[in-house]
Amino acid sequence: MSKQVFNKTNIFIALQYLFARKKQSFLAAIGVLLGVTTFIVMINFMTGVNDFLDDAVFNGSPDIIVSAKSKKQSTTTSNILSNYIENSNKVDDVLKADENVQSFAHQIISPAILISESKQFPGSINGIFPAQESNMVDLERRLIEGEGFQSLLKENSILLGVSLAKRLQISTGDEIKMILPNGKNTALKVAGVFSFGITTIDNVRTYVSATTLQNLLGKKNSITNIHVKLKDRDDVRLKSYLAENINGIVTEDWKDSNKTIVIGNKVRDILTWSVSFALLLVAGFGIYNILNITVIQKRKDIAVLKTIGYSSNDIVFIFLVQSLIIGVLGAFFGGFFGYIISYLISTTPLDTSDFIIVDTYPINFKMSYYILGFFFGILTTIFAGYFPSKKASKVDPVTIIRGI
Amino acid sequence: MILETQHIDKYFLEPEKHQVLRDISLSISEGELVSVFGESGSGKSTLLYILSTLDTDFQGNLNIYNQDIKNLTPSALTDFRNKHIGFVYQFHYLLPEFSVLQNVMLPAMKLSQKSKEEIKENALGLLDEVGMKAFAKRPSYQLSGGQQQRVAIARALINDPALIIADEPTGNLDQKNSELIFELLKKITGSRNKAVVIATHDPKIYHNSHCSIEMIDGSIRL
Repeated sequence: MSKQVFNKTNIFIALQYLFARKKQSFLAAIGVLLGVTTFIVMINFMTGVNDFLDDAVFNGSPDIIVSAKSKKQSTTTSNILSNYIENSNKVDDVLKADENVQSFAHQIISPAILISESKQFPGSINGIFPAQESNMVDLERRLIEGEGFQSLLKENSILLGVSLAKRLQISTGDEIKMILPNGKNTALKVAGVFSFGITTIDNVRTYVSATTLQNLLGKKNSITNIHVKLKDRDDVRLKSYLAENINGIVTEDWKDSNKTIVIGNKVRDILTWSVSFALLLVAGFGIYNILNITVIQKRKDIAVLKTIGYSSNDIVFIFLVQSLIIGVLGAFFGGFFGYIISYLISTTPLDTSDFIIVDTYPINFKMSYYILGFFFGILTTIFAGYFPSKKASKVDPVTIIRGI
Repeated sequence: MILETQHIDKYFLEPEKHQVLRDISLSISEGELVSVFGESGSGKSTLLYILSTLDTDFQGNLNIYNQDIKNLTPSALTDFRNKHIGFVYQFHYLLPEFSVLQNVMLPAMKLSQKSKEEIKENALGLLDEVGMKAFAKRPSYQLSGGQQQRVAIARALINDPALIIADEPTGNLDQKNSELIFELLKKITGSRNKAVVIATHDPKIYHNSHCSIEMIDGSIRL
């Protein structure tokens, strides 16, 4: 390339061609716009849902759960009857030494019946150590009313999930009675109500102080679970290491407990990318067609441009600029409309389903998706514009002039 | 001496190998109007494309302005053409997306040695010279054939090239316009001291040129 092709004259010529076919150029830009808009809306919505679920489920539950091996039946987090971990010190040592462990917390979990003035329901009582647990669960963010974990430093306080509190018809400050499997009952004061947004959690989960629960169960210093939060959640080698090296425990990781959500996220990702890709491909073909037809119709003009001093590189640039302008306009307004539609969706009230509790559709407005969508749109047009441009540059003036 | 050829041979390979030009040697100087005539298929158009550097696939030597054309890369050749050669075709070939004035300005905008204002002024001057100044702002597709050809001559002159190549410039025009175009080309040759090469069928042109070359079967008839 002997001379700079990026110059005012070439851009002027490109614009002149573009404006000569306003309608087609406009339609081509609309094609890109639709592709980018759909991409933005879909990715905002899908990742919004993914993030919402990730946040609610994975932050509400630990990455690895260590519990005692049951002698009778398999154990789950909410259905444990006095299976206490005997080797908790050994587990602690392993966890302290492992670099991938971000934090861990002891819990004593017991089923119980909760009784308010008018209702009674079964719940899962998590006895926690406030200092440890606040490293695991960001309850402050989840609080609807009252106080968080620090309120449990007082004896006989309880925090409840919002659905459970509603069903019991109680709120912060009220008193409820708790009956444990061993028959002991005690009065607790509601210190706060939280919501993870997931019905399965908000319906049953409650927090009390571990020492309160230990005293009531008559099991001082005993725990039923150890919850572990990992730095890299996908590296779950620790799970099998613990199970193999320490007797009397079973381990479970987040993938085991949330299989449907993990699969759902994957399906949504695949859907987003494939639909967006297909739409952009169609938009790309639109641009390709328009430029291709232009090149065929304008072979004579291209030949003239070449004879009066415009090089092959100038010609490539002139046609590529046309597709690039279509692409930039389409991608820009695509991002703009994508934002507007996403915003409208994010303000649309959502009927609470049985599974999640949320007022409006979760939308992820991350800037990087807009940048990605913009570059996707432009990349498509560059690809679509390149081949017709190359074809244009190969026009041989002699053949054209002679061929008349 | 503006243009000189030595022993140019040219073959077409398709549909079968066939010699189109045989041993063409000629030279053209400033202020000379040379016409090339001959029957269709005699090779005059082919010779013209070689002289205009559009076709470089030949044997022999072509020097324009003491530059051996075969030594230039394709992009250097494009620049060379832009600067030193002006074109007029049988079918006018103005670009319909551009105005008359813009059409004339395009080669100079490519050369970009002058400011846009200067180029515009030059273009208007040239349009005046060919009698088309009043049409400067018009879209070029609104012009008649004769008018377009006059604009094409103005475009050929905008970079002040040494050599003007015209391929059947009057081939598509009526008597009156043909004469007008030829007079213009003659005027340019004289007043601007250009070398002009015209391929033509028109006896009026080749009888009134400084020098006319008849092509027969790819050779110059002496």
